[in-house]
Parts: sequence; structure tokens; C-alpha cells
Amino acid sequence: MDGRPLYLEPRLEPRLRSLVAAHGTLHSIVDALGSPLHVVVPDQIAENLERFRSVYRSHHLSGQVFYAHKANRSSALLRRLAATDAGVDVASLGELQHALGAGFSAGRITATGPKNPEFLWLAARAGVTVSVDAVAELDQLAALVRKHTLAPVRVLLRLSGFESSGVKVLSRRSRFGTPVRELELLLEAVERHADAVDPAGVAFHLDTTSVTEKATALEGSLAALELCRSRGLRPRAVDIGGGFGIGYLAEREQWEAYTTALTAAVLGRRPPLTWGGHGYGLRNESGTLRGTLGLYPAYRSVAGAAYLDELLARPAASLGGRPLAALLLEHLYDLHTEPGRALLDQCGLTLARVLEVRTQEGGGELLVRLAAKADDIALEDHGVLMDPVVVPRGGAGPGDVPVAVHLFGSLCLETDLITRRTVFLPRRPEPGDLLAFANTAGYAMDFHATRAQHQPAAGKVAAWQDGDAWRWCLDDQFWPITPARGAQ
Amino acid sequence: MRYDSITEAIGNTPLVRIDPAVHGLRTIDLYAKLEMLNPFGSVKDRAAWSMAGPLLAEAVEHGSQVVELSSGNTAKALAVIAGMHGLGFKSVTNRMRVPEIKDLLLLLGAEIEELPGQSECLDPTATDDPLTLFHRTLAASGSAYLHTDQYFNPRNTEAHLTGTGPEIVKDLDGRVPDWFVACVGTAGSSTGVARALREEDPSVRVVGLVAAKSDFIPGIRTIDEVQEVGLFDPETYDTMESVTADQAIEGMLTLNRRCGILGGPTGGAAYFGAVRHLRALDAESEERRTAVFIVCDRVESYLSYVRQRRPDLLGRPPRRNSPADLSEAEVGGAPSVTVAEARRWIETDRPLVVDLRSPYAYAALHIDGSVNIVDELFAELVRGGLPFSRRQPVLLACPVGEQSARYGALLTRMGHPDVRSLAGGIIAWRDAGAPLVRD
Ligand SMILES: Cc1ncc(COP(=O)(O)O)c(C=O)c1O
Repeated sequence: MDGRPLYLEPRLEPRLRSLVAAHGTLHSIVDALGSPLHVVVPDQIAENLERFRSVYRSHHLSGQVFYAHKANRSSALLRRLAATDAGVDVASLGELQHALGAGFSAGRITATGPKNPEFLWLAARAGVTVSVDAVAELDQLAALVRKHTLAPVRVLLRLSGFESSGVKVLSRRSRFGTPVRELELLLEAVERHADAVDPAGVAFHLDTTSVTEKATALEGSLAALELCRSRGLRPRAVDIGGGFGIGYLAEREQWEAYTTALTAAVLGRRPPLTWGGHGYGLRNESGTLRGTLGLYPAYRSVAGAAYLDELLARPAASLGGRPLAALLLEHLYDLHTEPGRALLDQCGLTLARVLEVRTQEGGGELLVRLAAKADDIALEDHGVLMDPVVVPRGGAGPGDVPVAVHLFGSLCLETDLITRRTVFLPRRPEPGDLLAFANTAGYAMDFHATRAQHQPAAGKVAAWQDGDAWRWCLDDQFWPITPARGAQ
Repeated sequence: MRYDSITEAIGNTPLVRIDPAVHGLRTIDLYAKLEMLNPFGSVKDRAAWSMAGPLLAEAVEHGSQVVELSSGNTAKALAVIAGMHGLGFKSVTNRMRVPEIKDLLLLLGAEIEELPGQSECLDPTATDDPLTLFHRTLAASGSAYLHTDQYFNPRNTEAHLTGTGPEIVKDLDGRVPDWFVACVGTAGSSTGVARALREEDPSVRVVGLVAAKSDFIPGIRTIDEVQEVGLFDPETYDTMESVTADQAIEGMLTLNRRCGILGGPTGGAAYFGAVRHLRALDAESEERRTAVFIVCDRVESYLSYVRQRRPDLLGRPPRRNSPADLSEAEVGGAPSVTVAEARRWIETDRPLVVDLRSPYAYAALHIDGSVNIVDELFAELVRGGLPFSRRQPVLLACPVGEQSARYGALLTRMGHPDVRSLAGGIIAWRDAGAPLVRD
């Protein structure tokens, strides 16, 4: 390596920072429950919700923040949210059952995603709002309502393929939603099923970091709502989905230095920064860089609630250049959002015990093996590069010299790398130490986890602050009324 | 100078000496190569003409559309050239962040496509990035497109090797400057000029300037982004240095205000980078030396860029009768009526109901008989004085009663005796079940 360590230190807000520093607690939980282990921090999700709410308030907007449940299976997080005024967005029968069981009344639930008949029936039966993907799904839902003589179901019409005027914004094709140019057909179906469905508005979810694309979609949604109104419907809401993102890293400079070094490494101008010279999507074609960096933009100055704020402030060119927030408000529409990842910002971490630290013959990076599989710590699956924090077992370790390491998992597979990146740590870890991977609650905890090779999937606990101390219980044992839950 | 076509006016741009009192260098004569004086406004006129010119006849025959990945100047030149030959032009980009340039391109008849943003969730099924897909589409379509491919096309570099570079030498009376400083976008101008100069005198030092990594300077790339450019070769430059957006604007101001050179931010970045680099070398010998930098384009297209970053530079005197001047107490004290009171008042006294929302929202649903004066327009209207007779009672309505309270307070201060704001706005009106109509 060329000497200087390239750190990617995680962004830690006070609550998570305090948890990472609670070395004794973290070791005792892993001693009790084994490695790997997820720790979620339910109180943080309530705080994140409040940040979204304050953006709503600053634009005078009403409407619901629906937590996108898919991002984490935790019961503790869900139940903590049930004790707030948030809603939940469920994408499967199991998630719907979970939400109902956690205390969400039907009015606070929307059903999105691909739906099987049981999911649709339970949604209709309970009276949750259904985000309808296509005419066929609407037909299916209406048939269920009639056959089982259920009350009319509130539906949002999920749209895709928005087009802008003037400048064409190319959008990634989506599997979901009805293309806006087929909206008339969808509205004809709505009218056909007037006895069975109550069209409450339109929805979209775009998987993109681009505010411009979302602004185009929101502007297109306003036009779609106008079309609904012109046909005599009374829509009330627009649901703009999730995808508000997280800023994972503490320092912009570290991210910039790292990505520049990665580029240089791919071009062969410095030693590799990854296992096997992996380029994260970049490649060298006769000295020119090709491909695209397939990494999550881990340093983001605008993410989460601030991203929503930026989107709402965007002017809508086809509607006189007024900001989108003003247009929503003036049209008396409710704004619904479905943040998943963003609501889980700072809501948890994953702990893994160091099993082995091997020095390579001839020097180079240390080989560090963890009691965890790569799928338990799925940051890499989402392209999120971020250093773990060493939680030492004993007191001071053997010196404070920075080291470069490769992190391996416990599966008997060459591919079981916790990350393909060479990780720099401020000091050498020792067997028995824990590595704490911060901010894993959004998708990186249990979205991918398996029980391959009879190895355990990570357990999960919920933790909260009680004065200066951290307390915890099994995730499933957590309820908002759990005794000794701090200053409740 | 008489020409048969505007394209003949491309090139032969002036080389203008910067007054030493401005740059403060003692031993170095600094010259600006004013590429902004090309007919379509930038250094890219040369590359566009060099790349497209030889292929136009065939493109016209096939009715091909000219396409380029460009965020500005190349697109502008190509749009004009394509238009002059009856061809369409399309620009594909996600870097076009300056609205005036977008509008200008649309005005020139260009079609613009923006590439999609990065996926929020990493998609393992995504086979290729949007750019690769773009190239594949072009390749598949045969002759339907004339793709000028400015980042890889050697004719881009060649335009400067045979034009810009030799012109500099000629205007310096056959001498090669000691330094050449250029911003790097496609790398075409810097590479071509550097090659031309080195052929005459290999001792010329070449300084390449890029944008600071997290910054955005329209037209130039960051140190990582230049690696994606086929024409970029690190060997071309004796040194690469970065300039921030603020420094580029600072340099631009100096050129604009003190030198009378109405160049844009890239020219500003080149000036700033040149002076910064040369200042350190100025003292090291007493010999007279020369340096040349390029002013790529003109300031006019970047006003919104400046407004965003340095609003202070576009400051205007405060306005009269502005709702912004009201104190919170005045706003709080504005006369208001509840929905129930308003409905009675409308029945008995027939106040003029003014809806301050946008025309789209108003058209969708409004209070029967109200007039729509959108708040921005209303602000303009009151600047000149009261827009209603004092004898006409007025009910102001906005979404939640906030803006209407401001304007109510303002009109009251301006002397209107009976103006009231609808408390809670149209939302309260709707929530109270009062009728809203769509005419
Ligand atoms: C319908 C819908 N809503 C919300 C989300 C959550 O997005 P995020 O976790 O990025 O906020 C998703 C994610 O795929 C989704 O499909």
C-alpha cells in the first residue's frame, strides 16, 4: 500500500455513538446471545419520524409518513413506531400481519408491492389502503370485495413512466405501476368498479437518487390527479414512495480521497484497494476509465428528511414554476411518503466477534476472520462502504498502529468476504474483540440473511438508554411499555 | 472581413494581454486567448465544426440526427451547425445544471435527454450503466445518428492542434509561451494546443485545471471524471491543479469587471488557476516570460449559477410595499375571519374574494365567485399601491391562512379599511364542509 490509511469512518449521531462506546454492554450481549448480533435502537426511529414530520410542518403539508417495513424485520422498531402517529407500508402478507399485530390500525397501513390473493384479501378485509399496480390487480381486488361482500377498499393508483416537458428525463424502467399514458384505461376500470373501490389518489416509487426524476414524477402525479378530478373523482392524496437515502459517512474528504484512490487503483496507478483488484464496476480500457462506480454514494450531504425538503422545494416547470410543496398545499392534497432506509438511519448496528487475525507471509494486509457470514452484514450487497468500529475485549490493545485488513466471514466459501474492500483500522484487532458495523438497520441487517451451512443467522436485540446506562431485551420482547424503558 | 458562411468565422480569436496592474505578476506577461469570441460563443465551436463538418453531407443524405453527450457549449455549437444543415440535434447528459443553457438549447431547436440518476438500491440485475446503453443504442441504429463523440474523437484535439495552438504562436510573433494554462473538460483544447506548442518548443509547461472534487464548475471535470475521457492523457500536463467554484467565480469577476473580458466561470477558473500557479514562479528569475490561458465562453449564460452561489453579486435595492418588511406583530394583528364568519360576510356584504393560490389549484377547486390573483402577481400589484377601492371589502384566501394574513396586514398598513384574511385558508374551508366549485 502507499502508506496512508484510507479511512471511511461511519457517521454516528449521539445515540448510536453512545451505544458503540458501551463496550461492556456490547460484549456481554454477544457473550449471551452469540455472534453475529444485530442491535436496534427503537427510540431513534421515532426521532427520525419527527424529522420527516417537521419537513411536513414547515411546508404546512398534511398526510402520513409510512415506514417501509421491508427494510427491516424488527418487531421492536415496528412497535415503537406503532406508539407514534406514523403509518406503515407493507409489501407482503407477513408484513401486513406483523403490522396489525404491532398495533397499527388499518387506517395507518398501505399495502404496496407484488400481492398474492391472500395479501389482497386480508388488506381488503382489514380496510387498509391498497396501492394498485395495474388494471388486472384492480379487477382482482374488486372481485374479492364483491365476492366476500366487503366494504369498498381505498386505493391509490400507482403510476410509472412519467414524462417531462421540454427536457426529457430518461428514467429507469420499473416493474411496478401503470404507465401514466395508460391512466385513462386505469380510470375506466376505477369507474367500472365504483361500488368496490374508493380512489384516494395516486402513488409512485422511483428507485433513484435523482431529485430531478422524482420532481418530474411528482409533477406528473399532480397532472394525473387533475385528470382524476376532471372525470368527477375526488382524489385527496399523492404518495411519493421512499428512497430518501442515508448519509453513511462522517467525512466528505474521506469519501473523496477513497474514490479517487480507487480510480487510480483501477487504472493501475497505485496498488489495489480491494480483494483481487475488484473495481466496483469500474474498469480500465487501455488507460481510460470505463464503467460506472457501482457504489452507494456513502457520503451524502442531503439525505433523509432533508432530501424530502429539497424535493418539495423544486419548482414545477409545467405548473407555473411554483414549488411542488406549494402546489400540493394549494391543491389541498395530502402528501404520503414511504421512507424505509431513511427512517432507519442510526437505528442499529451489527456486531461480529473476531475469531482469527492472520499475518500473511511476506506482509501485506492482515486476514481477519469474523464469526459472521457476509449476508449477516449486507452493507456490501448495497454497495455501502464504511469502516467497522473496533470494540476491544480487554483494555488497551497492542499498540495503536493503523493496519490494513481483509474481513472474511465464517462460511467455507472463497466468496464469503464481509467486504471486498481493504479496510483500514486505527489499530490491529485481536481475537475476542468485536467489530461494530454501524448503521446497518436499513436493508443491511436481515434482508439477505440465510442459515447456510447450519450457521446461525444473526440474532436481534432492542436497546435503549436508561439514564447513562444501556438496557436491552430480545427484539421480540420489546413493547413500547416494556418496564424500565427509560423516562417514559 | 467578409464571409460566405458563419462557420468561416470560427477561429482566429484575439489574444489579449491582461493588465499587470490586475494580476500583479512582475516578470510574466499573461495573455487570454478569447475563445468566447467564436461565433457560437465558445471554444467548442472549433471542435464541433471539426468533428461534424466532414460528415454533414452524408448525414444530410441519410437525414441523420446529430447526437452528443454534452452539457453545454458543444451542444450549442452542434445545435446551430445541425440546424443550418436542416438536421436535428439531440444532447444526452445529466450534467446540464444551468437552466439558461438548457433553455438556449431548446430555443436553438435541440432535443435534450437527461440520463437517469443512480439507483437508491444497488441493482444486481442492472447490466450496464446508462452511458453504455446509450453507446449501444447508437451502434445499433446504424446511420440514423451522427455521433460526434467529443470525449473520444481525435478531430476534437486536431481542431486545436491545427488552429488554436498555431494561432497563439503566431500572435506571440512566432514564440511559444513559457506556460499554457487550460481547464480540462473533453481535454480536446488543452491536448491539441499543448501538442502544437510542444512541437515548436518542448520546454513549454502545461497546467491542467480541474474542478475541486465536490464542486461543480460548468464545462470542466473533476480529477476523477477526467479519467473517463478518452482524449485525456495525464502525460499531457506538467501539473494538474484544482479550482473551486468560488475561485472560478472570483476569477470571472476579475475578468469581467477589471479586464472588460465578459468570460464565464471556466475562463475565470483558468485565470484564477493561472495567476495562482504563476505567482509562486514570478519571483524566481528576472527574465521576462509569457503565459497564455483560455477563456472558453461567455458570462451571460451563467447568471443563475452565480445567483445560486453568490447572490450578493446580484443584489438589488429593497422593494417598496413588500410583505417581507412586515413585523410578526403586524402579521399576527391582521384582521381575520373564521370560515363561518366568512360565509356570513359573503352573504351580507359581498366582499371581493381573492384566492392567492396558483391558477392550476384555483382551476381545480375554489370558492364560488372568487377571483384568482396568484401571490407572486399580487406582490407585484401592491408594489405600485392599493389595487382595490377602499370602499370595496376584501377577503383574502390562501391554502392555510398564512400568506393571506401577510397580505392582509400589508393592505391594512397601506390604508385599506376592510381587508380580512380567511383563517385556516381554503383547507379550513374544505374541512368545514363549505362548498368549493370547479367552474
Ligand atoms: C413501494 C416502496 N416504498 C418504499 C420503499 C422504501 O424505499 P427506501 O427504503 O429507499 O426509503 C420501497 C423500496 O423498494 C418501495 O418499493
